[in-house]
Amino acid sequence: MIRCENLHVTFNHGLATEKLALRGIDITIPSGDFVTVIGSNGAGKSTLLNTIAGDIETTRGHIFFEDRDVTNLPATARTKDIARVFQDPLAGTCGDLSVEENMALAYGRGKRGRLTFALNSKLRKLFKEQLSRLNLGIEDRLNVQMGLLSGGQRQSVSLLMAALQPSSILLLDEHTAALDPKTAALVMDITSQIIEEKKLTVMMVTHSMRQALDYGTRTLMLHEGKVVFDLTGEERAKYEVKDLLNLFALSRNDGEELDDDKLLLDT
Amino acid sequence: MSLYAFLGTLEIGFIYGLVAMGVFITFRVLDFPDLTVDGSFTLGAATTATLIVLDINPFLSTLCGTLAASSAGLVTAWLNLRFNILHLLASILTMTALYTINLRVMGKPNMSLIMEPTMLTPFEGLGIPAMYLKVVFVAVFAIVAGLLVAWFLYTQYGLAMRAVGSNKRMAQANGIVVDEKVYVGLALSNGLVGLAGALFAQTNGFADSTMGIGTIVVGLAAVIIGESLFGTRSILIVVMGCIIGSILYRIAVSMALNADFLGFQASDLNLLTAVLVTLSLIFPKLRSEWKAKKAKRKEI
Repeated sequence: MIRCENLHVTFNHGLATEKLALRGIDITIPSGDFVTVIGSNGAGKSTLLNTIAGDIETTRGHIFFEDRDVTNLPATARTKDIARVFQDPLAGTCGDLSVEENMALAYGRGKRGRLTFALNSKLRKLFKEQLSRLNLGIEDRLNVQMGLLSGGQRQSVSLLMAALQPSSILLLDEHTAALDPKTAALVMDITSQIIEEKKLTVMMVTHSMRQALDYGTRTLMLHEGKVVFDLTGEERAKYEVKDLLNLFALSRNDGEELDDDKLLLDT
Repeated sequence: MSLYAFLGTLEIGFIYGLVAMGVFITFRVLDFPDLTVDGSFTLGAATTATLIVLDINPFLSTLCGTLAASSAGLVTAWLNLRFNILHLLASILTMTALYTINLRVMGKPNMSLIMEPTMLTPFEGLGIPAMYLKVVFVAVFAIVAGLLVAWFLYTQYGLAMRAVGSNKRMAQANGIVVDEKVYVGLALSNGLVGLAGALFAQTNGFADSTMGIGTIVVGLAAVIIGESLFGTRSILIVVMGCIIGSILYRIAVSMALNADFLGFQASDLNLLTAVLVTLSLIFPKLRSEWKAKKAKRKEI
């Protein structure tokens, strides 16, 4: 379970460039929920994810995992609970290291690095098994440098890596946005499989209205650092992409034009 | 080249093999170009020499010299991590400060160890001819250190350090404490360089305040020569390549200096080094350009 209480994040506090990125987020995400997060650029989607992950310090408010207050826990300590996949396929893996070395790193997530060999035959077998699920032939290329794989392959491996260690929370930050439609669909397939299998609590930021409705059990819409809509259950089931777009327009009753061509394209 | 000169070249080659491993850890593993080594090489030598002259056990003195050099690395890491000073600049600051510190440690610009006991003294009675003993001694140090460094980089901890140099964000998302790895890496790197300085002082019989000048370039040259000859397929190959690269570099330099028809003098060493390193940096780039051009011509 993730609980955010009155979460505020301000960048450049007290400076002329001050930006209120999050202004009082109150959400509770029960264990096993799969929440999709949408909102226009600058709405605070990524900031929310990065704050939960611990990359960004909270200005005010609290974050809880289950009943533990993790507000002051550094990002590295939160990795025991959190696995992440980034938007940029290059960000989630080390291009200079081999596929198996990358997986060994993920396998050690949340543990202290010991002075024992990072790789052994048992682990290689496990990695091979996992990689063969992708049907991309990477299981025979354990020794290949990660940088030589395509973006889609790297993103798929990142997903497997996220699931190598038991964790309860998976944060996906537009992890299919940089991929072509076919690869994106494949990666989303693997995402659903892994989430199902590991019973993870998931927050997925997406720019695609279609994805936001097709996947998960709940949809949050952020605008200017606040949750403006929270769709669940039957109400959500009835929603179409165009309804979401209307919500978008509504959330901007301050006269702002709906200029997100990107949102329309992605449908 | 006479046998005696060749053995001398080997000896220096092995000693700077340790420097090359240190440079490999900072430049390649951590992606942290660290020039502290110009100062920490001398610090290792100066500390060890001073302690030996004070009648401290040579092995203990060498350990102290190594640790002193390690702490110089920690200072550079601290300046960079705590105050966000650019890594290159932070290391230059430490290096500059070390010049004075080294003079203070020794109390004079040059310290002789000719009549003092060294780590070699206990082995002198074993019947190995003196001219071979030094080479064997430093070779054992370099190879054992190389195996240890390679082993370290294969461990979970070492792999985490390599991840920090490759992709900080990914490392952090996998629970790796980035700063800690940089501190440990710089301490390890400068410790190796300081150990090299301590060995140099004991095999050559002196420590000098200017002996560290150009250490970084020589170390880098060895790393690059090793990489271009043996490739980067595995860590063990690269680390051993550091030692062999260092020896080959020394042989190349001494041949260039000894070839009468080239007319070089011993004082031309630094220019030669710079030219050699520049060439080895340029060559891989030129080669890929030539290949690309050739491939283009074929297509037409």
